[in-house]
Amino acid sequence: MNNAQKQYLQAVTRRHFLARCGTGVGGMALSTMLGGQQLQAAGDHAALNPLAPRRPHIAPRAKNIIYLHMAGSPTQLELFDFKPALKKHDGKPCSKEYLDGKRFAFIHPQANPVMMGPLFDFKQHGQAGTWISELLPNIATVADELCVIRSMFTTQFNHSPAQLLLHTGDPRFGSPSMGSWITYGLGSENENLPGFMVLASGGRTPSAGKSVWGSGYLPSVYQGTQCRNTGDPVLYLSNPKGLDSTSRRRQLDALRKLNEIQHRAVGDPETISRIAQYELTFRMQMEAAKVMDISRESKRILEMYGAMPGVKSTADTKSVGDKPLAAADDPGFANNCLLARRLVESGVRFVQLYDWGWDHHGSSQPEDMKSHLPVKARQIDRPIAALIRDLKERGLLDETLIVWGGEFGRTPMRENRGGKYGKFVGRDHHPFAFTMWMAGGGIRGGQNFGTTDEIGYYPAENPVSVRDLQATILHSLGLDPYRLGVMRSGLNSRLIGPTNEGKVRSEILA
Amino acid sequence: MKKFVLVMLFLSSAALARGEQEISFAHQIRPLLSRNCLACHGPDQEKRKAKLRLDIREEAIAAREDGPAILPGNSFKSAMYARITSSDPEERMPPVDSGHKLNTNEIDLLRQWIDGGAQYEGHWAFTKPERTESPLVRDKAWPQNELDTFVLSRLEAENLRPAQEADRYTLIRRLSFDLTGLPPSAELIAKFVNDKSPEAYGKLVDELLASPHYGERWARVWMDLARYADTQGYEKDRTRTVWPWRDWLIKAFNDDMPYDQFTIEQLAGDLLPNANSQQILATVFHRNTMTNTEGGTDDEEFRIAAVKDRVDTTGVIWLGLSLGCAKCHSHKYDPISQMEYYRLFAFFNQSADADRFGDEPVQALPSPFHYRQHAGILGKISIAQEKLKLTGPGAGHEAITKEIAGLKSQLNEKVQKMKLAAVPIMQELPEKSHRRTRILNKGDYLNPGDEVEADVPEALHPMDDSFAVNRLGMARWLMDRDNPLTARVMVNRIWSRMFGAGLVETEEDFGTQGALPSHPQLLDWLAIEFAITHRWSLKKLCRTIVMSATYRQSSQLSPELLKRDPRNRLLARGARFRLEAEMIRDQALAVSGLLSRKVYGPPVMPPQPEGIWKTVYNSDKWVTSKGEDRYRRGLYTFAKRTSAYPSFLLLDAGSGEVCLPRRIRTNTATAALAALNDPVHVEAAQALARRVLLEANGDASVRAAFALRIVTGRPQKPAETGHLVQLFKAQLAHYLGHKEEAVAMATVPLGAVPENMDTAQLAAWTVVASVLLNLDEILSKG
Repeated sequence: MNNAQKQYLQAVTRRHFLARCGTGVGGMALSTMLGGQQLQAAGDHAALNPLAPRRPHIAPRAKNIIYLHMAGSPTQLELFDFKPALKKHDGKPCSKEYLDGKRFAFIHPQANPVMMGPLFDFKQHGQAGTWISELLPNIATVADELCVIRSMFTTQFNHSPAQLLLHTGDPRFGSPSMGSWITYGLGSENENLPGFMVLASGGRTPSAGKSVWGSGYLPSVYQGTQCRNTGDPVLYLSNPKGLDSTSRRRQLDALRKLNEIQHRAVGDPETISRIAQYELTFRMQMEAAKVMDISRESKRILEMYGAMPGVKSTADTKSVGDKPLAAADDPGFANNCLLARRLVESGVRFVQLYDWGWDHHGSSQPEDMKSHLPVKARQIDRPIAALIRDLKERGLLDETLIVWGGEFGRTPMRENRGGKYGKFVGRDHHPFAFTMWMAGGGIRGGQNFGTTDEIGYYPAENPVSVRDLQATILHSLGLDPYRLGVMRSGLNSRLIGPTNEGKVRSEILA
Repeated sequence: MKKFVLVMLFLSSAALARGEQEISFAHQIRPLLSRNCLACHGPDQEKRKAKLRLDIREEAIAAREDGPAILPGNSFKSAMYARITSSDPEERMPPVDSGHKLNTNEIDLLRQWIDGGAQYEGHWAFTKPERTESPLVRDKAWPQNELDTFVLSRLEAENLRPAQEADRYTLIRRLSFDLTGLPPSAELIAKFVNDKSPEAYGKLVDELLASPHYGERWARVWMDLARYADTQGYEKDRTRTVWPWRDWLIKAFNDDMPYDQFTIEQLAGDLLPNANSQQILATVFHRNTMTNTEGGTDDEEFRIAAVKDRVDTTGVIWLGLSLGCAKCHSHKYDPISQMEYYRLFAFFNQSADADRFGDEPVQALPSPFHYRQHAGILGKISIAQEKLKLTGPGAGHEAITKEIAGLKSQLNEKVQKMKLAAVPIMQELPEKSHRRTRILNKGDYLNPGDEVEADVPEALHPMDDSFAVNRLGMARWLMDRDNPLTARVMVNRIWSRMFGAGLVETEEDFGTQGALPSHPQLLDWLAIEFAITHRWSLKKLCRTIVMSATYRQSSQLSPELLKRDPRNRLLARGARFRLEAEMIRDQALAVSGLLSRKVYGPPVMPPQPEGIWKTVYNSDKWVTSKGEDRYRRGLYTFAKRTSAYPSFLLLDAGSGEVCLPRRIRTNTATAALAALNDPVHVEAAQALARRVLLEANGDASVRAAFALRIVTGRPQKPAETGHLVQLFKAQLAHYLGHKEEAVAMATVPLGAVPENMDTAQLAAWTVVASVLLNLDEILSKG
């Protein structure tokens, strides 16, 4: 609670009453509802503002996080995991060992799928000689900031369960997302903005729907707030047409006065929370509108990202069948990267980006790896490099963790949907090996961690599980992944799941 | 069915430890053991350390190499006590890495308990509720019914007095929301407030219980539990037709269908002898599970996920148990083994659905919506027939005969045109195609273990031999009188919706890790009233609760009482808490006069901000409903799982993906922004402003008082109108100088300014109306 709020609360309540109860915005509601065990687990949360900044469990390496999720899952074999050996096998039938007993989303194991070599060239970059695709020339220039993990694996091979597992720790619905856990654990640095914000581009939201930023069994105060590309930047942020800010202020003043009368009559501290809640809307309107307006950035910065304020994404308007088709200069993702920087700069704890359009099966034009993957790559290449550079220039990279990746990988085989090959090219879902990278706060950049076998089917060295990734992210932010949880039916329910198999991978960390 | 063995129930009803103080095993010792010891020394055999089990007395006191863990009467010679007090960190229990720790008070409590004989008791919720004598109270005048004696005796023991009865305006608003989910109409308020007879309150209760909106209110509660949604879920999230079941639900509540029948029809209506269409429609309940039509998914994987969901949801709704824990391993705290989980799973494993594209099996069934469409004509026909009987031969007679024929042909036409959408239903596979059920190791469907047969958990009451071993038998078992949980869980749920928190706060968990009841005897008394006295009548249960003096208390709160009992667990005052998402919207529409009171029918699409629906591979569009359908109650709003109605989501509603046993209330700025700026609320404020200009004649203070009255349902306080008039005047001055803004404020989105109304006035009153709709008093139920 900041000073202004404290003063405010003291003015409207009897002093000792508040001093004894220590109730802030929503605090009472939370303590009222989290009964039994949860109340104990919620501990300090119950007595305080549920979003007040909280001390981390351990020394944090990063304060904020920007998570860049490429929804649909980009191909590691064309972007980061260079497999010259796979080139040799190109067009040759896939060996039985890679098909028997395996489950695929669309590959027909009986219809003799063939191996497919990398479709694009790679070069080595940076001090660690990191192999990066020709499709990502700008990201290549910041190779020394990246820790590329090529040995990721997951247990899920359909989009929505895999996204849920990655972001909520459970392939089923109902669990809180990583952003919820982190704001639950650390609170928010800026009271006037939501602590967990979600930015989606590419014309679609992720497969698992809004549950990937839902608060699951945590109170909904921890759910992600979506920033929108059309209309209000945050839902319901703008006043109704015909109501200017002075009128809104007058309205809130009258509301407060009436609520004070109510509080004097009934004495319920919830009324005080309500007053504070409505006061906060005014500050949020002011601040959010300012922070989300990327047109306030200099021309240099806009160009650096390739951002175009106010330009509607083609992905929102053009589609082939039910699949959005975005142009290479589409600014949707670039705008979001720039906005992400502005948000962390303003103290937003967790900024989650989703970019739709990475599900390159080769079954239609928007899913064609030859023609459409370069388009998608171009959309992200410049903005991501700019984001890293921009954060660095501002001295924010050290305190901001950046994570990039999809929900799984793609097969070394060419997809043969329906048992045949058509005019487009693509790869099927592949849970056994994929690439993610991390950069920024607490990450040992300029290294490659983990390898895959010669065709990129399985991890060869240092496999990293989704649980490891989650544990490592929480740890970087100063949260103990084993402790961060709430008691539900006797189980300490956590992001990393019920077992302790997830490990903090210190090799990744600086 | 095998005879049962009570795993945890050591029914020692003997007096507890006679040490320095009386110690309750259930309330003091079990929670300690549960929290600190049972993860390794509890029911889960696989995780059990040192072959020691502390949740069963026999095992805890059994002879061991290093002496019994517990030697009743002698803590000094109890190995467990030695370990929890050991100074050697290697020896000391619980181990450091478990994250658990006993403090000195807790250790002392365990010592006293062991010294006092280490008596065990069964977990309270697994023991059948027993009828108890109602407690003696000093204040004989206060109780309105037996319920109150349980509350009062506790208050008297705590030296507290119950609050006085709330005023009539508060009472009627509270009652109206609790029983119908809507604010009371002005007429009803006037009638109640002016009725000075002692029966006025009871009459009001009966009137509200008979309202068609009663069913809507409780249907919404049940829809959260039933994870209701109008789409299939997962990536594609295609539309499915399940709303006829929602109408079944409304009707069932309105008809006060007994809870046992209500349960059995939903879980196994298809298996009832000569099941009728409505009993089959009831089974949509468990077809509300999700269907994954994402390309390349294994249908069996998601069929099994749906079956597990049915087991888990059934467990939460009827048993208040988190059975789901036992999917992957035996429950660590409650006596449900992994094998038993899959035995329950077996009951649900024989239904024909299999994660198919179109949710098959489906069946076109009429619903209350369809019946009601014909009810009008059928009613007219019977009236005409009555008339015919009374009319002698002649021209009149002939005319009526003609009328009847006309009505009949209309009816025929209607029936022929009746479009029945197919709804997903439960249907059992023929015996020869029955699936075999295997334990799934770690819950993984690709890793099946031993085969199991359908059966109920041993720790619960046994299944009657006369019940078939199928879904129907299982449903009957749930409603068996010996079931210690079902009635308690349901009365607690109803209580919670009215008081803001259950007597057991963890509504979803009556197991050993759940919260203990604040008033155990009251809970049991209510359970028995509900199940036995009232034969599972929910309306009678509701009546019992709302007729009590406990319910009628004022929610006014003194600083002393707030300090003493901030969460109102003792019930020394009435409940006061924020309304549910749908109620807030429905109320705004109701008081502004926009609300459609139409009951039943396909889901509607009220205004929602653009660009909310952007689901992958799904071209479904949100097409804003026109006319009356724009203003239907919240429960009729189209529910898309991947993209729930945003303003509801902000106010803690669920997405319908999983069973939501209770909504945890939060107050965020984004939710407040919705209530201020959402076009639905703006529209309501505009309509309210028009009502003010149309219905209240006089100066601004008369109009402000009128507005306040229709929103709050009570007479105004002068200070309140003062603030409103001040706001009105400032806004009026503003809008007189800003014509365009005035037009926008008064008309977007409601529509053109009516004739004879002044735009600036209307805009200014809209601003005032919006304040009223956002009052804490209005967002709350006091």
